Amino acid sequence: MEWEADEKEVKAAGAELLPDGRRGLRIHGWEIESSNRSILTSLNLQAWEEKLETTHLPEMMFGDSSLVLKHITTGTKIHFNAYDALVGWKKEALPPVEVPAAAQWKFRSKPFQQVILDYDYTFTTPYSGSETIERADNEGNSSCLKWEDCEEQINVAALASKEPILFYDEVILYEDELADSGISFLTVKVRVMPSCWFLLLRFWLRVDGALMRLRDTRVFCTFNENTKPVILREICWRETTFKALAAKGYPFDSASYNDPNIISQRLPVVFHKTQKLIIPATL
Amino acid sequence: MSDLDRQIEQLKNCEPLKESEVKALCLKAMEILVEESNVQRVDAPVTICGDIHGQFYDMKELFKVGGDCPKTNYLFLGDFVDRGFYSVETFLLLLALKVRYPDRITLIRGNHESRQITQVYGFYDECLRKYGSVNVWRYCTDIFDYLSLSALIENKIFSVHGGLSPNINTLDQIRTIDRKQEVPHDGAMCDLLWSDPEDIVDGWGLSPRGAGFLFGGSVVTSFNHTNNIDYICRAHQLVMEGFKWMFNNQIVTVWSAPNYCYRCGNVAAILELDENLNKQFRVFKAAPQESRGAPAKRPPPDYFL
Repeated sequence: MEWEADEKEVKAAGAELLPDGRRGLRIHGWEIESSNRSILTSLNLQAWEEKLETTHLPEMMFGDSSLVLKHITTGTKIHFNAYDALVGWKKEALPPVEVPAAAQWKFRSKPFQQVILDYDYTFTTPYSGSETIERADNEGNSSCLKWEDCEEQINVAALASKEPILFYDEVILYEDELADSGISFLTVKVRVMPSCWFLLLRFWLRVDGALMRLRDTRVFCTFNENTKPVILREICWRETTFKALAAKGYPFDSASYNDPNIISQRLPVVFHKTQKLIIPATL
Repeated sequence: MSDLDRQIEQLKNCEPLKESEVKALCLKAMEILVEESNVQRVDAPVTICGDIHGQFYDMKELFKVGGDCPKTNYLFLGDFVDRGFYSVETFLLLLALKVRYPDRITLIRGNHESRQITQVYGFYDECLRKYGSVNVWRYCTDIFDYLSLSALIENKIFSVHGGLSPNINTLDQIRTIDRKQEVPHDGAMCDLLWSDPEDIVDGWGLSPRGAGFLFGGSVVTSFNHTNNIDYICRAHQLVMEGFKWMFNNQIVTVWSAPNYCYRCGNVAAILELDENLNKQFRVFKAAPQESRGAPAKRPPPDYFL
């Protein structure tokens, strides 16, 4: 069941819902839209495999789903989609993670002419979103947006205040059950309040008995009346093995690690940075 | 009306049985299942169904499309439980039908019919939530050990949940497996429930996980030839269109959980074989929201950070 906006609250905030059954809203010069579609058909999946030059994609490819946040006057568009994320997966190309049973399997008599597949079946991606500039005067030019490291932090206090949520959605970009050996998924959640929007892009991986990996990107924007919006993002990667957790006295069973929200604090941070989006002046 | 018929009616309304009833039902089922072969013979006409995964209301759609048991003879290829919201009701209804009409429904084991897997992927938690104890989970997982490993339709179509094993060339080799145990982590029984066909290998492949076999077209050709069968029918992998042929129609995957995990938007299929083994795939969609019992509530706003 999808979350539904309260029309009165939306109106009071000077926002309007998108028409024609689209999901999202316009607020303070932003147009924010999500779309949740079915997984790709076998035919489309094949086309993606060819484009990405791979023979394997996640079994649940929500290839037509997306989240788009567009600042109308500057043409700044921040968006999230499975394709760009998988381009990142291909590039990072981590070595495969062995499941615990692999140790036993090494002693199994190998069938003649066995091929060992070695792609990163976890679909781990460094993806933290896509950004382009779409404006009439320089259409298609996306190279002028840049994320720069910064000292500023996302204002968590502002996010903790219970302003009404005018729009909320979660878009799953891809998901794989790792053939019942765990879970890998990439999802983006967004919430829009009267004073700001906030989103969390999360890659979550649990290889049962082996390791967990959590790669979060949080993006935050306070509405202001200036022409250029200030957009901050915080990237935080956490990772640990089940062995390391057990050594600290935490449970070893996979069932205890179903919800990354609950256990994320147990996973040590392996990478962290905060960045600000530099938007060029309007020509 | 007998107790069993009443229980079937109750389960058809998605109402679980009492713990004591589950226990008695499982005992009766065990007596039937223990007699079945690892390669259970099945007569045509028969309707073959793939993974269900606790999607009870979608299984009711399946019965609407395929016809009621016992009027239709069914073969289910395993993965009755986990992931969906109604694993208890789904499995118990199938089991009650098995006890009531043992010759009109065949249930074989999927990789989710296992103690270890159900503790991670939902069935264990569901039993605990619905009964306040894990007794029902124990009764059910004990029954899982008795489920057959494969089926052979009119000596011509071999059916299994996952796929083939490098340890197995002939059906007789499957018949000699001692199946009454938890699904092992390796070996022939494990492979039958876990392995997958794979386009990019011709012979055998090893999954990048370091465990789990993949098999190519030449493996299937040789197995089908050796055992004089027309094709293999298996489940285990999600297919957006509900079914998928591979390797020149030598193996077909059938998937029977529409809108898998309530979000994939895929259709499901069952394979109907008539008395002459003519095939017809029946494709169906998920049950409409309003037929799913309890009305969905608007979730509270999620102040995620």
